[in-house]
Amino acid sequence: MKKLVLCLPLLALAGCAAVQPWERDVLARPDMSLDNAPLDAAIDDHIYFSKEASSGGRGFGGGGCGCN
Amino acid sequence: MKDTDSFNATLAAATCALLGSSVATPVVAAEEAGRWSFDSTLLYYGESDDRVSDVSAAVSALRNFGDDRKLSATLTADTLTGASPSGAIALDRPQTFTSPSGRAAYTTSAGDVPLDDTFLDTRFALNASWTQPLARLYMFSAGFGFSTEYDYTHLGANLSLARDFNKRNTTVSAGVAYSQDDIDPVGGRPLPLSQMLDVGDNSNKRDGSESKDVLDLLLGFTQVLNRTTVLRVNYSYSDSSGYLNDPYKLLSVVDPVTGDTLTRTPGGLGPDGVYLFESRPDTRTKQSLYTEVKHSFGAPVMHFAYRYMTDDWGIDSHTGEVRLRWPLGDGYIEPQLRYYTQSAADFYHASLVAGTAVPRYASADFRLGDFDATTVGIKYGHDTSSGNEWSIRAEYYQQNGSVPREQIVGNQANREQYPDLSAVIVQFGYRFKL
Repeated sequence: MKKLVLCLPLLALAGCAAVQPWERDVLARPDMSLDNAPLDAAIDDHIYFSKEASSGGRGFGGGGCGCN
Repeated sequence: MKDTDSFNATLAAATCALLGSSVATPVVAAEEAGRWSFDSTLLYYGESDDRVSDVSAAVSALRNFGDDRKLSATLTADTLTGASPSGAIALDRPQTFTSPSGRAAYTTSAGDVPLDDTFLDTRFALNASWTQPLARLYMFSAGFGFSTEYDYTHLGANLSLARDFNKRNTTVSAGVAYSQDDIDPVGGRPLPLSQMLDVGDNSNKRDGSESKDVLDLLLGFTQVLNRTTVLRVNYSYSDSSGYLNDPYKLLSVVDPVTGDTLTRTPGGLGPDGVYLFESRPDTRTKQSLYTEVKHSFGAPVMHFAYRYMTDDWGIDSHTGEVRLRWPLGDGYIEPQLRYYTQSAADFYHASLVAGTAVPRYASADFRLGDFDATTVGIKYGHDTSSGNEWSIRAEYYQQNGSVPREQIVGNQANREQYPDLSAVIVQFGYRFKL
């Protein structure tokens, strides 16, 4: 039982109750895509890279500028 | 618990443990095969107090060649003008500095945080990537990036591989990126911790370029949680080595009692105070954990993201972001909120105190200090009858920092110590197909 309790969050994470292909109506919408505004994201990354000490996370670290 | 249930639970746990933590996503909007689609944007970024302003244009082209084989390329042009804090502290007297080129001097008014106003640059960047399935369930991607500006060149490449599991409800990915940047500062590279010299005296500067290598590793895990929710978790590791200094940043050397910058008598035109060029370590290792959840409440969609970053310079940061996309007529409205906080680098010094040992590494760059930043924004997007989309986004960015109490000496307590920043961002976007 203890093992089961420990596994529950992992089970939830692994989506062990799989969403079937015919149930993907919502997930297939463009606004549900994780990268639905790539240019906005690239601009944000560039601005924050040049003003803050952190970068990357969603994708590679970014950078490639002197950004003074 | 029945034996079969127990087995399933154990297997799932084992799988979860193996998967650990995306480069690719399991759910991607389908682009029409055989057609080009474009995403373009025009951006204005302007900081208050005549600091940096940037006008940037970017266009991204994407073509699906069928069977999920896609080419994408983005071209960006930036024009930067304005002034940037040099790292020197504000004083009750005007201050004169030698410009980075070493050929002129500039003066900051009494009470003002010194800004280097010789800042002008144009940057061009090109990024391209190719994505294709490698086998059933496997997706491969390769890309490169190049950018150039007056004193800086960047060249990088990346590879990533993703595999779907669990009826494509789970995607695990791994990626690697490598880049080499060359820095050729205006007026030469100052020797770290050397003193700013008179106009025309370049004896503390070295000609030629220096380079910086960056290796990034990314492990990604994307999971469909249910019919309306998707989760992404990324772990990234980044190792930078080489020239990591900012060649234009200074530190004021101050009197231990008054906290005012030591005076210097220029031999002609030159600085009237003692300023040293900064010195940073030549390696930096960063690690971050990024979590993102996207959830649909019927038509509205909420995006939530959190990132924790830590590095071996002593900087820890937390970033949280929420966006809510709400349908409105033929389009949507999307309020956005972001909060960021970071701790200072171990070698961050607002100033250096005369008479004490000069540390090996020191920087007064405000971006390495202790600060919080908030971004509030709103985006409106509109779908046209021809299936294209235009959008406008407006954001306000505010940074508030502080200098550790033990670093504040004498009169510094009565002046602005940290160059707080506010900026306005306005962006127009247009997406269309040909």
